[in-house]
Amino acid sequence: MSPKLIVARRLVLAILVLPITAVAVGVTWASPSPPWVPALLAAIGLGGFGWGWWLVGRRVRSYGYCEREDDLLVTSGIMFRRLVIVPYGRMQLVDVTAGPLDRTLGITTVQLHTAAATSDAAIPGLPPDEAGALRDRLSARGEERSAGL
Amino acid sequence: MAGTPPAAAPPAGTPPRNTHPLTVAVRVMRSIPALLGVGVLIALQSGQGLREAFTGDDPVVAVGLGALVLGGLALLLLIVGLVALGSWLSWSRLVYYFDDSGDLRVDSGVLTRQQRRLALSRLQSVDVNQPLLARVVGMAEVKVEVAGAGDSRVTLQYLTMSQAQALRDEVLARAAGLRPDAGTAPQTVIVTVPTRDLVESLLRSSTTLIGVVATVALVAFTVLVEGAVGVALLITGGVPIFQAFGQFVRFFGFTVAESPDGLRLRSGLTSTQAQTVPPGRVHAVEYSQPLLWRSKNWVRVQITIAGAAMGEQNQSSGFTGVLLPVAPREVAEAVVERVLPGLGSRELAWVSAPERVRVRAPIQWRALAVAADERVFAVRGGRLVRRWAMVPHARTQSVHLTQGPWQRRLGVATVSVDVADGPVAVDGLHQDAAVARRMADEQAERAKLAIATAGPERWMTHRLADLPAPDPGDPVV
Repeated sequence: MSPKLIVARRLVLAILVLPITAVAVGVTWASPSPPWVPALLAAIGLGGFGWGWWLVGRRVRSYGYCEREDDLLVTSGIMFRRLVIVPYGRMQLVDVTAGPLDRTLGITTVQLHTAAATSDAAIPGLPPDEAGALRDRLSARGEERSAGL
Repeated sequence: MAGTPPAAAPPAGTPPRNTHPLTVAVRVMRSIPALLGVGVLIALQSGQGLREAFTGDDPVVAVGLGALVLGGLALLLLIVGLVALGSWLSWSRLVYYFDDSGDLRVDSGVLTRQQRRLALSRLQSVDVNQPLLARVVGMAEVKVEVAGAGDSRVTLQYLTMSQAQALRDEVLARAAGLRPDAGTAPQTVIVTVPTRDLVESLLRSSTTLIGVVATVALVAFTVLVEGAVGVALLITGGVPIFQAFGQFVRFFGFTVAESPDGLRLRSGLTSTQAQTVPPGRVHAVEYSQPLLWRSKNWVRVQITIAGAAMGEQNQSSGFTGVLLPVAPREVAEAVVERVLPGLGSRELAWVSAPERVRVRAPIQWRALAVAADERVFAVRGGRLVRRWAMVPHARTQSVHLTQGPWQRRLGVATVSVDVADGPVAVDGLHQDAAVARRMADEQAERAKLAIATAGPERWMTHRLADLPAPDPGDPVV
């Protein structure tokens, strides 16, 4: 996986956590509450941010995929590990998506769909060339081996 | 195709048809209870004022109030008129027909026109339902469902019962690759659920049990401690009874019949449903057995049909995923055998979850097991309600393994087979991690092999193609 995915996720984390922490600390600081309240909030906010920072790194490194002869393996998760095996013949469509932030950083997500909603096989954080090539390979193999539902 | 049988002649299109004009009346009738409710609410609100006016002797007030009541009635009539106009417009703009390639087309919409095309080669099921109001005037609705993501169904409201059945037959005939006027396929009833069994099974079901236990506990509590817990009693006792009654009304007279078109499921006390599931559309099957059904050896069977996702189902009609609400196990297995040949009852070599998962799943750990043979993957579990589910390898969409922190400590993992959306989930909980991994890999391999030998789509063409083509011109030798 591209390390840019770590950057992207940490950026999102910062945008979500830091302003809220700042506002909470600011408000409690200005109000007549005892001084340990804003200190505690700041500690929780920053602590959570640090934890999330560390977790993002671990989680992103856990993503992986392996193209085998007849199926695709996708792994994810550290705490809650997940391994999905999708036979090429069962793929209905392959999505390549990239949000605004992803595009700026140059990463994309490849998502596989089968007839089952529970199949959830997503490979985030691929460089666009690799994602495109992967999609083309998967589609080609899927067509070779496809069979109705 | 070489030697195409005459039955598979290219289907021709039909001219556009409207649904039955009584549709408008039924829709208006359907809106009346809501309108009446609003009217009653308003009347109650102003009731106080009315009473004062009628007891008083001021003629001006009385006249004013009379005008108000008349005005209210006029408004109600106006609204009914508007509903009628809207229903009429949408009715008159809806046409359905078969196009030249044999697919069902539905054009509808007053302001926004919508044209839908249902590829009958991907037909999943055809239902003929009679909601209560429509049933009163002898109308029925036809629901056609094809495989596909999102909204892949069309409901035609309303046709006369005979029109509805004719349309169902035509859809099925075209989907099967037969002539459109092939007529109703002959059917034989396989099983009918006796009303006695249905009632008894509902009384013995787990929800009823919980309700009774909770009610008894609360009564005891009330007697001992004294207090007004009437409301709580009503809720704990009422909800299961209400639920059981709903199931009774829905599953009343449940009949499973077999025809070349597939399986016909019929049921209903007030509203009736009749569903036809073409062969080979069933993706997974699950048996369940609540505690008190065990002495009777009863089971309930649910199936997953691709496309018939459960989330969007409304209550009055539509497929619940129930193939049999209650039946003795042997009967249920015989019926499953017809839907998924070879899957009725199988001797499976179950691999149980290791005893160490006892701390993780203290109640059901003993029941947890997975199994696989050359045809199916199966899982089982549950203690109070025993469940076991099966999916043929040809229907395996993908396989996944999951492992939470606690499971990792115990060295176990959950192996799941992903099937099309529906009521059946195939999760093999808490298997030894190595076993689970091996099972997942093997299952992916089996799925691959099964895909290579997938079945036909237009079932009758293939069935007929297997026979020597009849030649009506030739004298019999």
